[in-house]
Amino acid sequence: MKDNQNPLSPHLQIYRWHISSLLSITHRIVGVINLLALILIFFWLISLSFGKGSYESFLLVINSFLGKFILVGFTWSMSFHLLSGIRHLAWDLGYGFEIKTANISGIIVIIFSLVFTVIFWLFGRGLI
Amino acid sequence: MIRFNLSENSKILKGDYFKDNTGSKNIKKVNIYRWNPDKNENPKIDTFEVDLTNCGNKVLDILNKIKNEIDPSLTYRRSCAHGVCGSCAMNVDGVNTLSCMKSHKDINGDINIYPLPHLKVIKDLVADLSTLYRQYESIEPWLKTKEQKSKTIEIHQSKENRKKLDGLYECIMCACCSTSCPSYWWNGEKYLGPAVLLQAYRWIIDSRDEERKERLKIVADKLKLYRCHTIMNCTNSCPKGLNPAKAIGSIKKMLATG
Repeated sequence: MKDNQNPLSPHLQIYRWHISSLLSITHRIVGVINLLALILIFFWLISLSFGKGSYESFLLVINSFLGKFILVGFTWSMSFHLLSGIRHLAWDLGYGFEIKTANISGIIVIIFSLVFTVIFWLFGRGLI
Repeated sequence: MIRFNLSENSKILKGDYFKDNTGSKNIKKVNIYRWNPDKNENPKIDTFEVDLTNCGNKVLDILNKIKNEIDPSLTYRRSCAHGVCGSCAMNVDGVNTLSCMKSHKDINGDINIYPLPHLKVIKDLVADLSTLYRQYESIEPWLKTKEQKSKTIEIHQSKENRKKLDGLYECIMCACCSTSCPSYWWNGEKYLGPAVLLQAYRWIIDSRDEERKERLKIVADKLKLYRCHTIMNCTNSCPKGLNPAKAIGSIKKMLATG
């Protein structure tokens, strides 16, 4: 269309979210968050290499409420990306394209990412 | 550059309110996107109170009722009214569909009707699909033969091979899927989109076609094909119950496995 005055019809503003679209954008965002998680892990190692003092101050930060919240969050984001990634691999192999299957696999990803996170921390804290 | 919000001239304002004058108790509020190219105004949402007592079950029946009885200037495409022509594709209740297939009884509360998303609006619910048609042309949607023999004699197709076209040949090119796809919103000029890719696959998988390799070569492109991230809005919106996401997945798989 030559006339630039014609408006663009609304898109994101009006389109209804589905499980599939919601998980798709979450997968991307979580991918970026995981990069931040990796950076934190590097900081952990770097603080260790600088000796006892720096390592202890790192632990102080990470043991704060906010620090713990971030660590649990990162565990979830890693679990989510892993499971969602497996879902994408299944699609690449040609499986799971039916709406019903895709919705079920999506819900499984959400539930098990949370279950993984809980199990990881229970295990890490020696509670199981 | 990707733009998530609407530009100044695309912002939607509040429009007119058409109050019911029949005194009916069976009233549905219908909010419809309006834009008139003859007026130098922004798009707006008009609200119509529609008496459902004497109205058919489909959203298209409501539109016809409004056009016939309330506001004759309401503009939309429609033809067959039976889900075969694909003209009346629009965004109803947040999802793209054919208004002649969608029952308004399935919608709780007000009915919101917009044109197909992320397209240049021509008038009201009519949007410009010329980019999509150009892309459709680019995949050369016709049977292609190389050998002279198959140009003179009938090409047979086994039942098994014919079956491979099921779920593909039914596509009526209504563009519900392509305009539901965020990847197509952001890269509509380059990414072919679900409708065109499903059509591409329909010819790739046709046993009678003799240019499969060339066809695969045309679509094997970072932007044309691989902008599909399996968001699945396409399959969720298809009013014919087809699965463009699966067709695109099949093309990707064919390219990966050779």
